[in-house]
Amino acid sequence: MAEPAGKDHDVNVSDLSYEEARDELIAIVRALEQGGAPLEESLALWQRGEELAKICQAKLEGAQEQLARAQGADES
Amino acid sequence: MALQTSAENPAPVRTIANLISGYIDRLGTVWVEGQIAQLSRRQGMATVFLTLRDSVADVSVTLTAPRQLFDSLNPPLIEGASVVVLGKPRYYANRGTLSLAVTEIRTVGLGDLLARIEQRRQLLAAEGLFDRALKHTLPFLPHAIGLITAHNSAAERDVLQNTRRRWPQARFVVGYAAMQGTNAVREVVEQLRTLDRDPEVDVIVVARGGGSVEDLLPFSDETLIREVAACRTPIVSAIGHEPDTPLLDLVADARASTPTDAAKLIVPDVAQERAQVEQARDRVRGALQAMLDRESRQLADLRDRPVLADPGGELAALMEHNREVLQRARNAVRQRIDRAADDIDHRLARVRALSPQATLRRGYAVVQTPSGGVVTEARQLGVGAKASVVLAEGSLDVTVERIESRADVELVNGKSDG
Repeated sequence: MAEPAGKDHDVNVSDLSYEEARDELIAIVRALEQGGAPLEESLALWQRGEELAKICQAKLEGAQEQLARAQGADES
Repeated sequence: MALQTSAENPAPVRTIANLISGYIDRLGTVWVEGQIAQLSRRQGMATVFLTLRDSVADVSVTLTAPRQLFDSLNPPLIEGASVVVLGKPRYYANRGTLSLAVTEIRTVGLGDLLARIEQRRQLLAAEGLFDRALKHTLPFLPHAIGLITAHNSAAERDVLQNTRRRWPQARFVVGYAAMQGTNAVREVVEQLRTLDRDPEVDVIVVARGGGSVEDLLPFSDETLIREVAACRTPIVSAIGHEPDTPLLDLVADARASTPTDAAKLIVPDVAQERAQVEQARDRVRGALQAMLDRESRQLADLRDRPVLADPGGELAALMEHNREVLQRARNAVRQRIDRAADDIDHRLARVRALSPQATLRRGYAVVQTPSGGVVTEARQLGVGAKASVVLAEGSLDVTVERIESRADVELVNGKSDG
C-alpha cells in the first residue's frame, strides 16, 4: 500500500507546524480515498487524520483569537 | 610732530582740539554708504543733522547737510533709506564733536538696490555658497524647531499655528529679531548662532511677512548669507510672499514661499501619517483574515471528506463490500458444488449404466477366477477349477464339474429364469 508521500506518521502531532499538519492531513485523506490499505492501517490513518484536523483547527482558532484581540484592543 | 606733554607741562585744550582737527582733516573727502537711521530737521536751522548707520556693524556717524541740499532731494529722504553720501569729516572744537559735512546725498534707488543684490548674488554664487551639494536635508520629525521672527508678528503666528495643526506636539525655540531696518541683520545673525548651537534644535526657520525691497534688504545681506551658509542646522527661508526671493532663499537648505508654507516643510502632517499607518495596518489585518478564512474553509472541506467525517460509513462500506464478496464467494462455491453434484450423479448414472448390476439383475452372472479375472469362455476354466459367480445379489463359490462348448448350450426360449 503506497505510504502517503514521505509523511512520517509517528512525529508527534503537536510538534508539527500548521502547514506540515495540514499537508499530512491532505496526504492521509488521499491515501484513504485511494483505498486498498489494510484495515488496521486504514484505522490508524483515520485516527491520525482526526488528530491532525484537531491541531489545525486549534492553530487557526488561536490565530483568529490573536487577531480579534488586537482589533478589540483598538476599539477599547 | 608728536606733541611733548607731561603732567608738569600739560597742553591746553585748544591745542589738543586743533591737533585733533588737523588729524581729522587728513581723511579728506570720501564717498560713504549707509542707511539713514535718524533724521532731525528743525525749523530755522540752516543745517540738517542725520545719523548714518553702517548696514551691518553697530557703527554710525553724524552727518550735517545744508538745508537746501536736504530739501532738494527727490524722492525725499526717509529713515531707513539706503544712501551714498560725499562728505568731509569735521571736528567742532567748541563742543568736541565730530561729524561728516555732507555736500552730496544720493539715495540708492530701487534699481541700484536690485542691481547691487544681483551683483552680490553672482559673487556669492561664484563662491559656491548656493551649491546644491551644501544643502542639508530637513529632519522628518524635528525635536525642536528654531524660529527667528519679529516679536508677535503675523509670520510668527502663521508658522506656529500651521505647524501645530499638522503636528500638535511640535516644540519651538523662538528667537525674536528685528526683521527689517538697520538692526535686522545683526539681530538675525545673533539668533542664528544661538539656535545653531542648541543641540535640541534640528531645523531653523527664518520667517517674515511680505514687505518692500528695502524691507527685505537685510535678507540679501552678505554677512547674513555667509552666516547661514556656515550653519550646521538646516535652515528654512520663509521670507515675504511668493515672488520675493532674497538671497537667503538661495543659501537656505529649503525655501518656503510664505511662513504658512514653511509648516509643510518642517513637520509631517501627523493626521495624514496616522491615516496612512492605520490604512497599512488594516490592510495587513485584512490579508491575515483572508488567509485564516481560506485555511479554515480548506480544513472544513478536509474534515467533511467521508474518510474522515464518517469512517463508520467507510467501515460499513467495507463490511458491505466484504459481505458482498462473501456472498459472491458462497454463490460461487454453491454453484460449483451443485455442478459437482450433477456431475457425480451423471457419472454415477453412467457407471451404473455401465455397471453389470442391472445385467445381473436381469439374470446374468459374472464368473470370476479366484484371481479376479472375469471368465468369458468356458474353456478358461478346467474341471474342478474354483470360481466365484457374482449374482445381482451376493455371489457363489463354485467348482467346475463339467465344461460344455458353447454350441451345445442354448438358452431356453431366450428368457432367463433365475
